Amino acid sequence: MIRGVLRRNAGWVWVSPWIVGLTVFFLIPMAMSLYYSLTDYNMLEAPLRVGLSNYASILRDELFWKAVRNTLVYAGVSIPLTALVSMAIAGLLDVDTRLSGVVRLFVFTPTVVPLVAAAMIWMWLFNSDAGLINAGLGAVGIQGPNWLQQQGWAMAALILMNLWSVGQAVVIYLGALQDIPETLYEAGELDGMGPIRRFVHIALPGIAHAVVFNSIIQTITAWQVFATPFIMTEGGPNRSTYFYSHYLYDNAFLFQRMGYASALGWVQTVLIAACALVPWRFARRLWSTR
Amino acid sequence: MDSDPISAVSRAGRLTRRAAIAGLGAGAAGLLLFGPRPRGDVPPGRTVVDYWEKWTGAEGVAMRRLVDEFNAVQDRIHVRYLTIGAIDQKAMIAIAGGSPPDLVGLWNFNLPAYAEAGALMPLDDLAASAGIDPGDYASGIWPMLTHEDRLWGLISTCGSLALYLNLDALSSAGVREHERGPGPQTIEELDRLHERVFAVDAGGRVERVGFIHTDPGWWSWLWGYHFGGRLVTEDGTRATAMSPENEDAYRWVRSYPERYGVDALQQFQSGLGFYGTALHPFLTGQVATTIQGPWLANLIEAYAPGLRYRAVPMPVEASILDPSRPVGLLDGDVLSIPKGAAEPEAAFEFMLWIQDRRRLEALASAHGKSSPLVEATPGFLAGHPNRSIAVHNAVANSERVFHFPRLRVWPRYVAEFDAAVQSLWQLRTTPGVMLGGIERVAQHAIDEAAEIRRRRAAGGAL
Repeated sequence: MIRGVLRRNAGWVWVSPWIVGLTVFFLIPMAMSLYYSLTDYNMLEAPLRVGLSNYASILRDELFWKAVRNTLVYAGVSIPLTALVSMAIAGLLDVDTRLSGVVRLFVFTPTVVPLVAAAMIWMWLFNSDAGLINAGLGAVGIQGPNWLQQQGWAMAALILMNLWSVGQAVVIYLGALQDIPETLYEAGELDGMGPIRRFVHIALPGIAHAVVFNSIIQTITAWQVFATPFIMTEGGPNRSTYFYSHYLYDNAFLFQRMGYASALGWVQTVLIAACALVPWRFARRLWSTR
Repeated sequence: MDSDPISAVSRAGRLTRRAAIAGLGAGAAGLLLFGPRPRGDVPPGRTVVDYWEKWTGAEGVAMRRLVDEFNAVQDRIHVRYLTIGAIDQKAMIAIAGGSPPDLVGLWNFNLPAYAEAGALMPLDDLAASAGIDPGDYASGIWPMLTHEDRLWGLISTCGSLALYLNLDALSSAGVREHERGPGPQTIEELDRLHERVFAVDAGGRVERVGFIHTDPGWWSWLWGYHFGGRLVTEDGTRATAMSPENEDAYRWVRSYPERYGVDALQQFQSGLGFYGTALHPFLTGQVATTIQGPWLANLIEAYAPGLRYRAVPMPVEASILDPSRPVGLLDGDVLSIPKGAAEPEAAFEFMLWIQDRRRLEALASAHGKSSPLVEATPGFLAGHPNRSIAVHNAVANSERVFHFPRLRVWPRYVAEFDAAVQSLWQLRTTPGVMLGGIERVAQHAIDEAAEIRRRRAAGGAL
């Protein structure tokens, strides 16, 4: 009988570790953070109910708006830039040569380098005095900026550094490109299409699902960016690279405002969902037209 | 042989599931039997005190040596020493989770927040019954251990800040008069020294400075104190960032990028090595004088053992100069007992044992720090790795020593300062505007914390 019960519920038994994990490490903490967002909670004292005042304070908080603005600038530039660069690299890698495998490996390798190690390497690369980037610029007669200490350039440096880890997006674009039947390109060529028109009218619609997927993933990643600016610029200079997750972290662990940080976390969730909705709606329209 | 391939696969599948379950079970049993567990090196019958401390490297070794000595000289208590990074945050989580260590080594500026939240055990009664006398300590020590008239910890190590002079760098710039005597005593004298040392290369790039406010840049908030200013009232209810003294101080800070150019100084700064390396600019002579604690001697010993240096009290604005009462920040590490600790009495016994003169001085000497006691022994001064340690002791004993402001919201206050001073350094704001903005944010944080505290005291009524 026990065997029969087990057999009938085998599916539940097999997924039970995942269900337990999801409940204990995800659903319960989420519910708790929602509760804490309605309290003043510093972790050392019992939560004090404050209603929606954390959310009201967020709207009046200058630093919140600064962090949102910085994150939007970062996301607004880095997402399209990453898409363009990764598509371009995927296009180049789509050509089969003897070295294709090795080149793909090189493109993907940076994504497995720990973020902290990568950040330290890039700090040296961006060093205005002894860094390789300014040395390269100097060799062609350009005086490089003070990347990490100058307002404006620090944001640019972080966006450029983000391109270091396009490997994952490249792999997805490459897979999508390789799914497009060769016959479509041949037909386009017979119709007199040049390479650019072939890309716009054949390749791009063919990889639209990958563009949407990558855009959503990169939107989420951009809103959660933390480790690299935390290490490379500490949010500076003058908070010009102070991003949303950094502000949330500071409130939770530095300022001991766990209730406020929880509210920031929920606002972040809503903002990410709203931003991720843009490529999602674009994709739905595209697919329904098809 | 099985004639039905589907049932064979199914049986094979059952077998695989069984094997998987057996494998998982065996793994779990193995983990239980042979997996990690607390080290069994505690002698039987002893009370175990779990002690979390922030120190690593030579500093950690010095404290571990004392812990081992304590464990060896008595047979009732066993202190288990554990090095923890970001200890203030991790201790907070452990206390919140109801599983704190018995003893925790915090920074002194953590005490107000922990104390107000009731996360630490007050030590007044234990200290009084053990005969701890505040008069035994340097005058700057006791205020670091107390908050709202209660004692929350005992000192482990401390260090005051002073101005370090790289005598080799000064000498190569033709400045030799500070090798003896009082050194630069006023801000004006420091500026003059800086100007004599300041050098640019043939391409116009800054090569060496006499002094720069951004090295090491750890205390962006303290310049006002050297002009007679304060950041908060004595009772901690009002932020006083926007005082005329503070404004003078930050006018002085701003005068450097105004004089030499933002880009030139930023270029110079970006080429400087990090603290804790042989490329530290004070060691290389790129920054001839720097504000630092006595621990700098350990860095010099490690990376530039032949360097000629000395320390003098950090200069002050001329109108408040009084060489008998130097001005300087005193920082300190404290030992506290978290609320909910399992063995508070045993933990306090170890704290008390550490307060012995020989042990405090041994720890201070190994860390390269000042003695927390009112008078250091001649042996301590003679054997200390820092040849200017007497200067640090004098600052720690001065009436005009100052501390991190005793505010629960200090992390917010200082975060605002750090960001604003960066803006000032880039000439994007003026001292008045900067300090006004800081004061507004700090006052808001102070008021908010006071209101929450009042409501908690009233039982959470809205």
